[in-house]
Amino acid sequence: MEYSNLRRQAAYMKKSLFDQGYLDEQFYQLEELQDDVSPNFVEEVVTLFFRDSARLISNIEQALDKCPQEFSKLNAYVHQLKGSSSSIGASRVKNECTLFRQYCDEENLEGCLKSFQKMKREHAVLRQKLESYFQLLRQVGPAEKATRPSM
Amino acid sequence: MDPNRAAASTASSGRPRDGVGHPPDFPAGLRVLVVDDDPTCLKILDRMLRKCLYDVTTCSRAAVALAMLRERKGAFDLVLSDVYMPDMDGFKLLEHIGLEMDLPVIMMSADDGRDVVMKGVTHGACDYLIKPVRMEALRNIWQHVVRKRRNELKELEHSGSAEENDKQKRALDDGDNASSASEVSWKNVKRRKDGKEEEEEIEEREDPSTLKKPRVVWSVDLHQQFVAAVNQLHVDKAVPKKILELMNVPGLTRENVASHLQKYRLYLRRLNVPQNQARLDTPYTGASEATFHSVGSFDGLDIQSLAVAGQFPPQSLMALNSEPRRITTTGIGLSSVDQIGFNPSAQMANASNIRPAMMQQMSNKQLNFLSGPSSSMESGLLGQSQQPVPSYGNMGLRVSDGASGFFSLPSSQRTSTSFSGGTINANMTNSLVMQMTRQGQQFSLSQQQNRIHINMPQQPQTRGQLPNAIAAEHDSRLSTTMGHQILSNEVSRHGSGRCGSNMNVCTSLPEGYMNASSYGAVSQALYADFSNSCMNESTGSSYPLATGAGATTFTSTGMLQDAFPPVGNVEALGNSTSLKGVDFVPDYDLLSEVHQSKSRDWKLQNINISYQLAQQLGSKQSNIDFGSSLLAHQDPIATIKDESSRNTCIVRKETFSVRTDIEREKGECIAQCNSTILVENSVRVKAEGMSDLSYQGGLFDGNIIQNELMDVVGKKQQEGIGQVDPEFNFDGYSLDDIQGAVQKR
Repeated sequence: MEYSNLRRQAAYMKKSLFDQGYLDEQFYQLEELQDDVSPNFVEEVVTLFFRDSARLISNIEQALDKCPQEFSKLNAYVHQLKGSSSSIGASRVKNECTLFRQYCDEENLEGCLKSFQKMKREHAVLRQKLESYFQLLRQVGPAEKATRPSM
Repeated sequence: MDPNRAAASTASSGRPRDGVGHPPDFPAGLRVLVVDDDPTCLKILDRMLRKCLYDVTTCSRAAVALAMLRERKGAFDLVLSDVYMPDMDGFKLLEHIGLEMDLPVIMMSADDGRDVVMKGVTHGACDYLIKPVRMEALRNIWQHVVRKRRNELKELEHSGSAEENDKQKRALDDGDNASSASEVSWKNVKRRKDGKEEEEEIEEREDPSTLKKPRVVWSVDLHQQFVAAVNQLHVDKAVPKKILELMNVPGLTRENVASHLQKYRLYLRRLNVPQNQARLDTPYTGASEATFHSVGSFDGLDIQSLAVAGQFPPQSLMALNSEPRRITTTGIGLSSVDQIGFNPSAQMANASNIRPAMMQQMSNKQLNFLSGPSSSMESGLLGQSQQPVPSYGNMGLRVSDGASGFFSLPSSQRTSTSFSGGTINANMTNSLVMQMTRQGQQFSLSQQQNRIHINMPQQPQTRGQLPNAIAAEHDSRLSTTMGHQILSNEVSRHGSGRCGSNMNVCTSLPEGYMNASSYGAVSQALYADFSNSCMNESTGSSYPLATGAGATTFTSTGMLQDAFPPVGNVEALGNSTSLKGVDFVPDYDLLSEVHQSKSRDWKLQNINISYQLAQQLGSKQSNIDFGSSLLAHQDPIATIKDESSRNTCIVRKETFSVRTDIEREKGECIAQCNSTILVENSVRVKAEGMSDLSYQGGLFDGNIIQNELMDVVGKKQQEGIGQVDPEFNFDGYSLDDIQGAVQKR
């Protein structure tokens, strides 16, 4: 009972993440990759993502502070962030990256700054949500990965 | 592996293969290398690929990936690379891979802009995936591998006679990479347009059967100019347009240059597969240079080796010496080889191909590897001198056009040329040699100075072994193919049986000049072995292979009995190592001809090292008398003794006494080395003068790919050549500084 409740909760959480656009299709791909051989794959990748993206974000922040006019550099950083966020299906973060890049192309510093802030927020929110999600999943039980939507 | 497996020429050796040459569970086990700086993506891709049952290797830095690829040629089937990477642009990596290893490369990026995708296409990527990459997209990447192999095979078939193809296939079998499948299609590859890099079919532009008429004849001169231009621009950065401008040759199109460049790079790559150029260090350089003095003096030139080829009488080698380029004699008809007294025992004929790296010595340009005519040399080597290889560069190493066939050393033969110290076992695969000759390729070794550095480890016994550094440089094209093949064949074959002398034939073929495909195969094989064998021993004997200085030609392989001064030029390092029983006389024009100012035909620097034919399998490296090639000067006493299986040509040259002793067995092995085996190993062709026969001093370990020798030795080929160190560094040989050059890589 408890267990199935948990499972239901987890499923619900996941669904809402998708509905709200925090996650997209690509996340399913990750789940597909999880199996007996790599039972915690999704969580591992997500953790890796957040670690790496935190670094990228701080780089961008620094660049914005010190040499905000170097748009190409900013662009390059954001491109990286975009790539990795899209790989895990972090849809909102990815979209924000796209916007940021546009501002860079236009050399719109203000736009960049604004967009960057938004991106940071999205990133933080996603991180939080996914953390809760995984926590729940762990409670549900490793074997029972309720990660798969009805596939 | 059955010989026909070549079709697939799958790099993965040892796996059972189906008709196409794929393992039964294909595409499972496909060896993929993934390069991406983003750890998240890398992890995901890794997992996805593993789910597809591929064999994945990940790498987050392009430089590391490239090193890995170079180090383990043939270890991967496919490369997946990100476009934007901090340490190296993905497209640059793509180019490198395409040129050097000729593997299919798939680009990836989150960027889906049209321009970027277009760039991928023009740089030769097989495919372009947009991130985030999905599993479905990865499931089918194996198709690119298959397609490439098929194309190569097709080229193979087209380019040479069936026989050649077979040989090539066999050579390929040796674990060569698929990409090397088309040695024969060297010429075809030549034509490959830039745009269609992706191993598309290389149309056979030229006459399929022989390179007799390439669209553009890359004569030695032309090739030298090319190499000079490339070196000036730095081989990694050279782009066709600039090369074209520098060369300033009327009537030459950018495309011609582009395709030639590609081949050249492949050639280099092949020669220097494991980038072992180091192997051939110095010892050869000195020697080779020395020997190489003017090709004319092939004396030592392996004329014997050439002689081996039968076709190329040492004279050709000599001729090489004498004539600045066209040493036609050497190659094929080595008329000048007389000096060497080539006795080309049948096998030796192949030696003729060994265009003496010595040629290089020839005042640096002499080494003409019989370039154009090399084709004939090849044939000569193979037994029929088709046309006297004018530039003797072609000894076996027909690197140029499509000598690809050249190197199809049939695995059976391994001629180990015993180079001094080490016998260079040039397992010349017959096929290679054959191919070479058959191909009639124009070996326009144009000046490629591929120096095949043959490191001949100094074996106590052989000193002479000159790792004929393979003059491969010269015709890098040809040689490369040949060299590669031979080398690979030998190498593979030889498995390091090498006898003492490990001739590390490091042919450093000019980068990129690798013969297309064929080399791949060859080089792979060669490298494998070569690296092992060659260089093992100490190159102590550092054969002055390429040292232009006087030492001309030493291409002596293997056992040069007496310490004969390593003939500097091991130019011929190209020795086709695998002279395996094959009769083909690969035109190795590998002579590291350091591009003699022009038309250097391939100087066969490496006199067919692979002459080893004699060597018995396993036993020692056949003594390919490598040295012979180089010795242009002195009167080469090339006595080719064909001892039961070895052709030992004793070329005695003053400087180069190429003596390839037949190692072991006979003790005296004469330097068969004729073939300058183009060890494909990094043949670095240095534009400047023949620099170096770059034979890496290493003695060839027998595996001198002497195509030509192989021919001669063919029969006997023993697998001797096991380890020719494919690293031949051909650094633009300048005859003069062959020595130094030898090592240059």
